[in-house]
Order: sequence, then C-alpha cells, then structure tokens
Amino acid sequence: MVPFGGWVMPLAYGDGTLAEHRACRRTAVVFDVSHLGTVRIGGPEAFERLQRTLTNDLGRIGPGRAQYTHLLDDDGSVLDDIIVWWVDETGFDVMPNASNTDRVVDALGAGAVDVTAERALLALQGPRARRLFHTVAPEAAAMGRFRVGRFTWRGVECLAAGTGYTGEDGVEVAIPAERAADLWEAVVAAGFVPAGLGARDTLRLEAALPLHGHELGPGITPLQAGLGWVVSWTKGDFRGRAALAAEREQGVARALRGLVVAGRRPPREGQAVMVEGQPAGQVTSGNFSPVLGRGIALAFLPPTVAVGDRVAVDQRGDAVPAEVVATPFVAPTPAEPI
Amino acid sequence: MNVPDELRYTEDHEWVRVEENKIRLGITDYAQDALGEVVFVEVPEVGSTVALGATVSEVESTKSVSDIYAPVTGTVVEVNAELADAPERLNADPYGEGWICLIEMDDAGQLDRLLDGDAYRAMIAG
Repeated sequence: MVPFGGWVMPLAYGDGTLAEHRACRRTAVVFDVSHLGTVRIGGPEAFERLQRTLTNDLGRIGPGRAQYTHLLDDDGSVLDDIIVWWVDETGFDVMPNASNTDRVVDALGAGAVDVTAERALLALQGPRARRLFHTVAPEAAAMGRFRVGRFTWRGVECLAAGTGYTGEDGVEVAIPAERAADLWEAVVAAGFVPAGLGARDTLRLEAALPLHGHELGPGITPLQAGLGWVVSWTKGDFRGRAALAAEREQGVARALRGLVVAGRRPPREGQAVMVEGQPAGQVTSGNFSPVLGRGIALAFLPPTVAVGDRVAVDQRGDAVPAEVVATPFVAPTPAEPI
Repeated sequence: MNVPDELRYTEDHEWVRVEENKIRLGITDYAQDALGEVVFVEVPEVGSTVALGATVSEVESTKSVSDIYAPVTGTVVEVNAELADAPERLNADPYGEGWICLIEMDDAGQLDRLLDGDAYRAMIAG
C-alpha cells in the first residue's frame, strides 16, 4: 500500500504488477479508482459554466456521452485533465485527478459539489471486460465507448461509462460507496483480476496516455503534449485561451514524443534525452514495457525531432540508444464479443 | 523472509557467499520483496576493480532503481550473464540463480564487518 494523492492505495495485489499488466492486455482486470474525484454540477447554467471553464466543446456531444477535456491556467498550462460524464439533460459529473479535485471545484464555482466521498469507482478493463461484466450487470457491460448511463444493480442506482485509462476496451462504474465491496466481490468472482497502481501506470504508459504531474502540469500546454484535439477554437472563450492561441500562432517550443530504448532498462522521469550527442529534452515518464520487453518513455523534445529519428537517453551516465516511435506503443487488443 | 544461515549480509540487504578467496554477491529475499518485480540488472564488467562501498551493480524494478554496493574491495571475475534476459531471477531465486557477480577479494579481513544470519534477521525485524 502506498500514499497517493491523499489516498492509500495498493501498488499491486497478489500476483504483482507485470502479471496484472498482462492480464489487462489479454483478459480483464478491475481497478479501484475511487481516488479520482467526482464533482457534480447541474442546472440550466451548468453547460455554459463548463464551456467557459474547460477546453473541449461539449457542443460536440450530448447527454449520455463522455468527453476528455482540460482545465487550463491563464498561461495555458494544464491545471488538470478531466473526463466529463454528461449524465442527463442538465447534470454533469466532472472527474478530475485525485489531488486536483479542490482546484476543479473552485474553477467551476458556486453549484459545483464534491461528491467523491459518496461513491466508489471501479474500472473494468481489458478485451474480455465486457464479456465478463455481462454476467454481473448486462446493461452496464453494453455501455458503448464514451457513452454514459444509469443502471440498477441489486436495487441500487449506479452509473456506467465506456471509458478507461489502459488503452484497452472497458467500462467504469460509479456505485454508492457502501455497496462498492459487494460489486468488487461480484466482479472478482466473475473472473476479473484485481490490479493496482503499478499496473495502472505501466498500462497507461504503453497506451501513451498522459499523467498529470508528468506529461501535463505547470508550464505544459495541451499543444506541447500533442493534445490539440482537446481544445475547441470554435466554441468561444475559455480560461487560458489567449495564451494558448499565441502559442498556436508561434508554434510550440517542444513536443511530446514516444521513445523505445535499445534494452530492457526503464528510462526514468528527469533523464536527459540527447539528440546528436547534445542534451535536447527530458523524459517525463518511463518504465519497462511488459508487452515490448523494452524500456519505453514519453519525453519532451524539440518539435523538429520526428518519428524514426535516433536519439539517446542518459540512463545514469550511459547514453542508451533509443528510437522515436509513433504512439501508442502498444495497440489495443481487439475486444471479445459479449 | 528467508535468511540462510550459511551466508553473510550487509546493511544494504545484500548477501555474500564466501568461496575461498572470492565472494558471490546477490540481494536478499527481503530486498527483492521490497523492490518488487525486477526488470533490469546492470552487472559489472568482468575484470573491473571495485572498491568497498562503491556501486557495483544497479537493479531496476517496475517501482524504482537501487544501487548494489561492493561489500569488499577486489576484482570482478565472473558475472551472471543470464540476468540480461531473465532479471526476474532475482525475485524467483535470490540466493541461487539470482546471484549477480563473483568478486576476488583483496583483503579477506573486510568480511569481518558483515552481519551473520541472526544479526541480519534482527535488523530487518527491527
């Protein structure tokens, strides 16, 4: 168990991070991700409030859909990356990172309520996740990708969304906290392998999904992180827009790239990346890829460094050769039919 | 935790097996459990000299990186090349197939500062 964003969470369960990682790529795992915040906002003004606060355009979706979006600082830095569940006509569940929940409540202003403590959140992920979950909650198991909806499980109202953070297919379920242990036991009995924070990090890295505090954070804009699609330029003003528009005009000074190193050694955050022998960038996240059997990393590099280029990572004094690759590092496993 | 009595130990959770004028070096069961799954081991070069207390190897797990320190001054005469493709041997068999290197000692007197099994058990229990 380790402290994480004010929570105490398991790094791994019995079989260890690598086994949990492989289970998610091959079959199905369950994560307890109750540490993610839920900020509820509703009423006739909620839509406009969210549009002015966050970068993506909710006008592209509608009730019953989920959207990935950013909260920016005035300088264009990403204060948090967020999934919005548009639950019904005027009701939204905004899901920030654990440690950023208060910041998001403040940004949304009056009417935004932190309901994190009321519910637990389970992430059911992997190519077999829907098939296994179908035996527990068929309606929720059928929730489409980036769809959101209510369902009833053993008499209690829950929410399901076709979202996740592993690169695999899957569903996330919010359930009243007092019933969460029952659902956990039901999905484990159905065949889900419990997975901890360690596998969550190696899975998201193979999928090249950003982690706030690493690929996103103070001084890092969505454009630098290669997430320009999260920003709507057509919906009107939002916090940070002016600074971001200026960067868009000038071009980014650095860009996030994926690296595969020549050996198994895990690159680590902060290690220098050398281009033609000179330090040119820095690793933001790195680890061992269980699927590739190689060290992999995300790193900020000059935007001229392109896929296919050869660079080197300074791994504790050794300049280890690395190749710039297209991401994700690992493609999703085709989902099994329900 | 398994702490074989026939081995000697360092306060940095390494084990030492004395083989005539050489020592075989690895990490303890306690160390492998704390580190988590080992995914990379950098072994020293055969023929390199190492000084007491200097870094002789680096072990990386999915969680973190740890330095392995030379428990004696001497010359590396053999390394466990199998670890390049199977670093998980440090987890599966820390006192056997998970050995890291064999060092020829300059001064066997340096062994006196190592812990015996009872002292190491007391340390990890403490």
